[in-house]
Amino acid sequence: MTRFSDDDPNRQLHFGLMFWATGTHSAGWRYPGSRADGAYDIEFIQNMTKVVERAKFDFLFLGDRLATDPAMATTNPAQMSRLEPFIAGSAIAAATTHIGISVTANPTYYDPFTLARLLASLDHLSKGRASWNLVTGADAIAAANFSRDEHWETEKRYDWADEFVDSVRDLWDSWEDGALLRDKESGRFIDESKVHAIDHHGRYFDIAGPLTVARPPQGQVILLHAGTSDRSRELGAREADVIFAAGPNFDAAKEYYSDIKTRAASYGRHASEIQILPALQVTVAESTAEANRIFDRLEELRPQVVAPVAGQKSREGALGQSERASSPRGLIGNPIEVADYIEEWFVGEACDGFNVFPNYVPGAVEAFAELVIPELQRRGLFRREYTGTTFRDHLNLATPPNRFAGRDRSTTLPIAASR
Amino acid sequence: MTVSKKETNISDAKKNSSGESPRRALHLGYMYWSNGTHPAGWRYPGAEHSRAFDVDHFVGLAQRAEAAKFDFFFFGDRLATGAEYGYTNTSVIARLEPFTTAAYLATLTKTIGIVVTANPTYYEPFNLARLTASLDHVTKGRASWNVVTGADPRAAQNYSRLEHGDANFRYDRAEEFIDLVRSLWDSWEDDAFIRNKETGEFVDGSKIHAVNHDGKTFQVKGPLNVARSPQGHPVILHAGSSERSRQFAAREADVAFAGVATLTQGRQYATEIRCRATESGRDPDEISILPGLTPLVGATLAEAREIYDELNSLTILDEDVRFGGREPSAWTRGAEGLHGSSEGVPLGYRNLGSLSQRLGLDVTEESIDAVVPLEIEGRLAPAGSQLVITATQRTGRTVGLNLTWRDVLYTYVVGGHVVVGGPTEIADYIESWHAAGAADGFIIQSAFLDEQFDAFIDLVVPELRRRGLFRSEYEGSTFREHLGLTRPQSRFTLDQGIEVSS
Repeated sequence: MTRFSDDDPNRQLHFGLMFWATGTHSAGWRYPGSRADGAYDIEFIQNMTKVVERAKFDFLFLGDRLATDPAMATTNPAQMSRLEPFIAGSAIAAATTHIGISVTANPTYYDPFTLARLLASLDHLSKGRASWNLVTGADAIAAANFSRDEHWETEKRYDWADEFVDSVRDLWDSWEDGALLRDKESGRFIDESKVHAIDHHGRYFDIAGPLTVARPPQGQVILLHAGTSDRSRELGAREADVIFAAGPNFDAAKEYYSDIKTRAASYGRHASEIQILPALQVTVAESTAEANRIFDRLEELRPQVVAPVAGQKSREGALGQSERASSPRGLIGNPIEVADYIEEWFVGEACDGFNVFPNYVPGAVEAFAELVIPELQRRGLFRREYTGTTFRDHLNLATPPNRFAGRDRSTTLPIAASR
Repeated sequence: MTVSKKETNISDAKKNSSGESPRRALHLGYMYWSNGTHPAGWRYPGAEHSRAFDVDHFVGLAQRAEAAKFDFFFFGDRLATGAEYGYTNTSVIARLEPFTTAAYLATLTKTIGIVVTANPTYYEPFNLARLTASLDHVTKGRASWNVVTGADPRAAQNYSRLEHGDANFRYDRAEEFIDLVRSLWDSWEDDAFIRNKETGEFVDGSKIHAVNHDGKTFQVKGPLNVARSPQGHPVILHAGSSERSRQFAAREADVAFAGVATLTQGRQYATEIRCRATESGRDPDEISILPGLTPLVGATLAEAREIYDELNSLTILDEDVRFGGREPSAWTRGAEGLHGSSEGVPLGYRNLGSLSQRLGLDVTEESIDAVVPLEIEGRLAPAGSQLVITATQRTGRTVGLNLTWRDVLYTYVVGGHVVVGGPTEIADYIESWHAAGAADGFIIQSAFLDEQFDAFIDLVVPELRRRGLFRSEYEGSTFREHLGLTRPQSRFTLDQGIEVSS
């Protein structure tokens, strides 16, 4: 049977860190020595990022949701309240030099022009390390925070997202490299032939352009996407550089992997251009017994009753009611066992790496960085040093050509006709 | 007309036997334009012209502004770009987005306030509340939002809108928007977090409030998903001279400014804002009036004037300097000329024909290098008369003697609020506005970088300190503290009668 990676002998693992300030386990904040109040401590967040940057992770993953509910305190405290991800991501950029920074943003509740600016700007600030995790919104109650009568159904959200992504890509390319002449002698600051109005007129958006930000260092910012629906798989296969998958077991993960890579090929993309990284909820310690003790302790600390807090009526569709009533134990083991598991999935083409979910912070992050990463490096599966400085470099992706470059259509900047 | 409290203070001070003047503190902000405010600033020998996307540039300037104890560092924004900026304001053609830029700066500075410009016309309140509150967290209480309702109508074309909307549409929206954002900022009370590892109580649900806003434009349930920020409410800036804009500033702003360029205009604006603030039930002294100012600083007055002349010589005029290429009447400056009308006049209007419109006198038959004759007196429109006076002040040249039409044309083309001088003259200018109640300080801008920035910091700031006008040390660590403002209580703490749960 042909393997997707047959022509890629140097294939390496890729790792992201899912950063939840109180850990991804709902009781992670109660674990001895863990931080319960790190969500708004930017130095702490910067330091956590440095830990995984030293471990040569590909990226830090900043999730986001557009609604909250006090009931999440027992089920999902890390997602209940936190820094807006563009703000956190930009502050992280200032304290790091290599690691990719993935910011979650939902096109359903953004404008393409604003989002294109935020992402392009983050890419400039981070010198080519920005990434957009495109989500279309699992939270129906977000609509109530955005003056909408209802949360759109899947088809509409993906129709919108498809057009949105295409517009954002046009906007990123609206300034060709070299458009800013800055010629002191002649007084010409811009070469108008290299600046393009995108003139997008679609079903949902009308955007003149150009963007107010120069082309990002990566050209196109790295795109992440997650999802299992058909529309989601299509969007991911066509647009995403990294797919963040659930993958409950090896066989399901392998099937998903194969499906995405096959779909990607149908869009003319090579299998190596798209990395599939399932979530890895992992508890690692020097010994298997110790790792089990840690997880058992976490489970003991889990609040037993998921009850609405006093003064709060529950509401339909509220966050936290149905989530993570009990979490799977995930992967628990010593460094060798964990590395074996990772290697098996990687070699078996069930994944290209993992998005690591630490149950508590900083301890679980440090444990993975100090115990598992060196073992994977020893096995030649993971980089010992970064070979480049951009997120694109970490994924071995070249900067894509500009969509407008060389196009004979001479679209120039709009001149203010009247003010 | 009611006199401002500041003027009262100054007259009290004069009677004060100690002789100490309890004047209001002078506040200084710095507005970052990567290429400076002069349209040809980027062409000046040695001037920066290519660092709009270079983090080291704005970080370095912000750190030096902080070392000089400035109140704040200010990032402007526009939601559209255009080719004419290539000749009027190269700093705004393409630049970094302000929220990401400000957040990048957060942990690279410690004390200075950081101002981000954002336009409610094109934002969602929930998103903006999260961005501003989060910026306030990462800066530990130094965030500020400069509320603009739209400097460039072309923004509509980038946001799938049929039209930009008139001032009433935009201000109706902005007023509802900011009220809603303040509620969202307050939706978590300060002590909503318990984080008791022993008991497992993470939050006190009774201190987290749905805002249940159901307004004309917005319907937002809340609560925000960001904790209440260190300042409670980040500092609000607002600029503009329209009726609605003045009203908005008087009601909502902590710092207000307008495109004023003369002391008379400045006083009028300041007095009006304070009166309106009083009418809105606010203490007018809570508002700092900080006009934009580009001080063109030289070691001496003569040197400053040489720099000004050289900058102007680098300014491109129309090829047909008599009539240009377009119909002059098509050019009208927007009523809400933001940022101290620092923008130059675009190509096509840089000619004697356009100048004639401003002067109220046809000078198209004059030779551009001819001396402006004394006979013009009494023949100019008020704005034209002011323009000639401004030209004499900037150049030091005299009508009827050596001031030329070219000098006047450059003054018209460059625009803005510019004062040319050595440290003494610049400090005199700042002190005179401050003493007259026309300004509580200024938002300083540089004609070009970095030399002009350094000159202000190294030459003018020490002179202001010698005069006892400007702080030598920060007294607080948040932006509100720099402005002498207290931290507001949460609306939900104040009014316990509110229906708090969803």
